[in-house]
Amino acid sequence: MARPGLILTALFLFGSLSFQAQTLTSVEYKVKAVFIYNFIHFIDWPQSTYEYSYDEFVIGIIGGDPFGTYIDEAVAGERIKSHRIKVQRYKSVEEIKKCHILFINTHDPEETKKILDFTAKRHILTVSDTPNFIRWGGMVRFFTVEDKIRLEINNTLARARELKISSKLLRVAIVQ
Amino acid sequence: MAMRLRDTPIQSKLMSIILVTCAVVLSVMCAAYILLGSNAYKDILKSNVSTLGDVIAANSTAALAFEDQEDAEEVLSALKAEENVIMAAIYKTDSSIFATYPPDTAISLFPKMQDRNLYWYEGNFLYGFQRITQKSEKLGVLYIKTDLKTMYAQIKKFILIGLALIAGSMFIAYVISKLLQGTISEPILELEQTAKVISEKGDYSVRAVKQGNDEIGALTDAFNQMLTQIQSQNEEITSFNQKLEQKVEERTSELQHQKDFVETIINSSVDLIAVFDNSLNYIMLNQRAAEYYKTPSDQLIGKHILEAFPQVEKSGMYDDLTKALKGEYIHNPRYRSPILNMSFANYYIPLKDNEDVIYGVLTIGHDITKIVEANEKLEKVNAELMKSNRDLEQFAYVASHDLQEPLRKIQTFTQLLDTHSDDKAQTKKYQEKINQSSARMKQLIQDMLNFSRISNSEEAFEQTDLNLVLENLIIDFELLLREKKAVINYPNLPVVPGIPLQLSQLFSNIINNSLKYTDNRPVIDITCDILKPVEVSQHPSLRKDVPYFKIQFTDNGIGFEPQYSEQIFAIFQRLHGKQSYSGTGIGLALCKKIVDNHHGLIYGEGRPGLGATFTIILPGENLNAS
Repeated sequence: MARPGLILTALFLFGSLSFQAQTLTSVEYKVKAVFIYNFIHFIDWPQSTYEYSYDEFVIGIIGGDPFGTYIDEAVAGERIKSHRIKVQRYKSVEEIKKCHILFINTHDPEETKKILDFTAKRHILTVSDTPNFIRWGGMVRFFTVEDKIRLEINNTLARARELKISSKLLRVAIVQ
Repeated sequence: MAMRLRDTPIQSKLMSIILVTCAVVLSVMCAAYILLGSNAYKDILKSNVSTLGDVIAANSTAALAFEDQEDAEEVLSALKAEENVIMAAIYKTDSSIFATYPPDTAISLFPKMQDRNLYWYEGNFLYGFQRITQKSEKLGVLYIKTDLKTMYAQIKKFILIGLALIAGSMFIAYVISKLLQGTISEPILELEQTAKVISEKGDYSVRAVKQGNDEIGALTDAFNQMLTQIQSQNEEITSFNQKLEQKVEERTSELQHQKDFVETIINSSVDLIAVFDNSLNYIMLNQRAAEYYKTPSDQLIGKHILEAFPQVEKSGMYDDLTKALKGEYIHNPRYRSPILNMSFANYYIPLKDNEDVIYGVLTIGHDITKIVEANEKLEKVNAELMKSNRDLEQFAYVASHDLQEPLRKIQTFTQLLDTHSDDKAQTKKYQEKINQSSARMKQLIQDMLNFSRISNSEEAFEQTDLNLVLENLIIDFELLLREKKAVINYPNLPVVPGIPLQLSQLFSNIINNSLKYTDNRPVIDITCDILKPVEVSQHPSLRKDVPYFKIQFTDNGIGFEPQYSEQIFAIFQRLHGKQSYSGTGIGLALCKKIVDNHHGLIYGEGRPGLGATFTIILPGENLNAS
């Protein structure tokens, strides 16, 4: 019984030590994780993206995970209709199989282009906080104004990929 | 209040009823209208606000989801459309306030978040919480607070309008009812006026005027019909009353007649009739009773028998009355009244009512005084007759005995004369004996004649001076008195009513007796006194209301034994032999008879050898008259 107690104490100690360093990035990505989760409710994917009703809704992350456990916590136990929500982390485009939202965490234009090319034939909502992401052919970009995270959306592209974005969401975003 | 309403005139009553009804109905209507209106307003307001809330909740989802406060505030600013909404807020799922309306409202003014969909009224406000969801994903809660001021202002306005409406309606109702109430109240007032006239004047020929064919018209008809009935009944009653009065008069006079008749009969009765109640108070007395009692009957009526006549308590009448009160029929054939000097045959008859209860006694007294007196007289005569009969028997016996004796002597001496006719001396002696015997017989016959004459005497009494009687006797007895050297002392004697010859015989016999039955020189003392009341009472046969004289003859003769004091007055009674003292035995019997005839007394007291005293008591008044 004493062993688990010791482990818990140790975890708390580590947590409080790393808090100062983590604060800025963690708050930002916590919000971004929630936003990503909220996209599920404001955007409709075509039915064809599911083969079976028990198929999962997949949130994919490529190019290193900035969220830590936040995104897992945000989606834990949640469902969209009958589909469980699952987070998958990819090291390369080749690993991507079935995916609904793809967070692209790279500032490299070549690599980003390569990933976007992959998604071009699929119904995948591409999300990134890279400044030129929309220009490069991305769909949703996070940016920060007065410490608030704002959205920039390329709705034409989303429509072309048969993703219906709610007007409500478009109202709070900058639409290209 | 109810009393006052009941007493108010019918016009005011109608008016009040109409106005009150109008006011109440209008008030209820207005109140109901306002209440319903305010409730409807509240429902509408609630539905409006909740709809608005729905819209805002829907519109604010993205702002919430992507933390766009400005957008949220902009969405909330749509609430301006509903002027009653005074404040609103959007809460995040963690209960913190995300946006407010109006913007920049102090967070402290908002309540704690409630995670539900609910709108409710509290005080003058409508509060509401509404969940904000996007595709079943809960994003936050909307709070809206709405003011009802506008509604209350509206209600106030409605009330004022209502009051004005009521006032106007009341005025219209007043005017209309004033115009219309006459159709109801006028016929009633008319009816009332008619009724008042009838009741005040008692004139049932008056009729109320009918004004319509409604209920009051029917009432007027009924009233008039009633009056007709009363009028005809009144006439009937009056004629009936007249008949009744006539009948009563007839009956009364009839009764009076009967009463007079009965009274006449009762008052004409020769008998005394009196009626007592059950306490023995006089109820009625007839005229005869009033005449007997010498008292008007109305002075006795109501009095108790003993109060009126205390003396009847012991006379037997009171006892008889008491018995009669117990139901006994009493007949007292002979009652001597202590009130009147009369005798009655009395009847005491208990009077019973229909239930056999005795309520009084009827007393009838039949005057039998005359009968009683006649009876008494008859008895007296009868007694005298019996006595006379006895005397006669005695007389016959004595006569046969005493008269035979001298006769037998005469016969014997006549026979001796025959046998001794040759002896002259003897013959003479026999002849003397025969003469003596015949003389004696003569004397006997004379005395008997005297005696019987007294018995049958019907001579009238006259005032007789006893001095004269005595003086004449002394002259008659002169020879004998001289012979015997007798002395008679006498006082002045009274004058008494009587028969002079009999009184002379009375004195003569007593003096003769004194002279005869003595061996000495006779001394006769005569005294005379008025009888004292004490002495009167010693002799019950004497009357107390009459003066009596006592005349006493005292001699010094042989006297007699006291036991013979009665016997000496019987006829032919001799205490001594003829040999000793001559006498017929009639003298004192004759005296007794004379004294009885004069309503007096005679008695003798003797002391053997010393003399005798004869006392004669004679009344000083003539008692034959009464």
